[in-house]
Amino acid sequence: MLGCLLTWVDCLLGELLTMYRFIRFSTLLVGLFVAISGFAADSTVATLTTPDDLGPEVKQPIEFPHNRHAGNHNPTDPTKGGMEIDCQYCHTYARRSAVAGIPPLQKCIGCHKSIDSVRETPRIKQLFEAWDAKKPIEWKKVHDLPDFVRFNHERHIKRFVEQQNRPTQEACGYCHGDVKNMTVARRQKSLSMGWCASCHEKAHSVTAPGGTPIGKQAYWYTFQKPAAAAGSTPDAIKAQGPNDCWQCHK
Amino acid sequence: MSVTNLLENWSQFRHFHPVDDKPHDPYKWAMSIDLDTCTGCNACSVACFAENNIPVVGKDKFEHGQQMHWMRIERYWDEDVSNPGGRDFPDQGAQFLPMMCQQCEAAPCETVCPVAATNHTPDGLNSQIYNRCIGSRYCSANCPFKVRYFNWYDYPTDDSVWPAEMNQQLNPDVSVRSKGVMEKCTFCVQRISAAKVTAKNEGRLVHEGEIQTACQQACPTNAITFGNLVDTESRVHKQWEAQRVEIDKDKQEKDEEKGGTDLRGYRILEELRAYPSVMYLERVRESAV
Repeated sequence: MLGCLLTWVDCLLGELLTMYRFIRFSTLLVGLFVAISGFAADSTVATLTTPDDLGPEVKQPIEFPHNRHAGNHNPTDPTKGGMEIDCQYCHTYARRSAVAGIPPLQKCIGCHKSIDSVRETPRIKQLFEAWDAKKPIEWKKVHDLPDFVRFNHERHIKRFVEQQNRPTQEACGYCHGDVKNMTVARRQKSLSMGWCASCHEKAHSVTAPGGTPIGKQAYWYTFQKPAAAAGSTPDAIKAQGPNDCWQCHK
Repeated sequence: MSVTNLLENWSQFRHFHPVDDKPHDPYKWAMSIDLDTCTGCNACSVACFAENNIPVVGKDKFEHGQQMHWMRIERYWDEDVSNPGGRDFPDQGAQFLPMMCQQCEAAPCETVCPVAATNHTPDGLNSQIYNRCIGSRYCSANCPFKVRYFNWYDYPTDDSVWPAEMNQQLNPDVSVRSKGVMEKCTFCVQRISAAKVTAKNEGRLVHEGEIQTACQQACPTNAITFGNLVDTESRVHKQWEAQRVEIDKDKQEKDEEKGGTDLRGYRILEELRAYPSVMYLERVRESAV
């Protein structure tokens, strides 16, 4: 009698459990459907750089005119246009280390002590006041990556400027936008992971002329066997930038 | 890939070892640990704590199984030789075995992660991405070596773990993990990365000896060797070769030989076919005391 009762209870429990699982499964299905339809509706957005990517306006202690320093010459009126100074003249650490660093005040003074024409303008005066007081200018960070990201400026400069002979402004501009037309720099790209990956997924030729001899390493970065292009030598495999997780995630 | 195709051409799809179709080139990071020279001093463990921003959880949490040491020294006691069935801790002393993530080639933890937070890198490392981890802890459950550690608390905000001034000693090249993520030994991937950047800038491959893991650096008896297994000139390659331990085998040829060999090299739980990247060299002495 007791055994019979127990079997019945067992059956009931089993039934309940099945029902519970079924309910959970159907919830999952509905959820999946909603998620997929939501994705389909959003998938019309194709551009990676949207106006929303524009970073906040950063208030700097001195309103530094990037356009005046790095902008193009103005052939008609040389006093108005830019001076086409290479980004790396002031941002000198970008090609030497992982971080670009902030140009020291000494760098500004180095030139400006011999430029008498702007010596008495308010911003330059402020510059020299700080110099005389031996105080650094407290520049604010505009492009701030999260702490868990391992980004290396040096590698990118070496890759694009030194190996591929791209103009510095173009190479820097991939991530920093059109700085030569800005006064105070402002973030123009989203600098999100998807945005980084959108470039690392492109078929860059890793074995650039005069580039690093990396042997068959390039193949590995793709995570798949790349389809060998017709008539190409095995060394000329087109591959992406590094894209395994630990390359960028600390 | 239809099921019919799968069944008919099974021999093509069947893989014993992941490296068969993706050979490691030019790097495969591996280690060998000589248990004969290991004194169990724990310097490696301490170095690992310092290098990798690992929280010191304290005695209470440790006793609850919430310890965070990526590198731990396991202790084993032989049977009491003079008195069979006797004391648990006989006179000949403990044998030590430093245990950390074995960076398996076919890592059991990778296949069970529901969000792919742990992946295989081209260098043969088993990566752990903290941002992606949702803390399901399946990986830890599936790890045969039990070397994955879970953040049960938000240690960075816990003043008893890193008091204000102690924050200054955190390594900026390593994330400080927050509550709810899994973590484990990375073979000091931040040092590997740095060395690779230097090497690439100079247009060459990473040299032997250029990378030292924190544990290796701290080991007073040089029991730990770390290097590139692909590089035939590397010390770790030579050791693996001399010991006839092959990374892509779950049964080593030398073990099949009649009468066995005198070679000391072995990998832990090799028969599980996880293909670990750490080779241990067996202790020679029966009794150390």
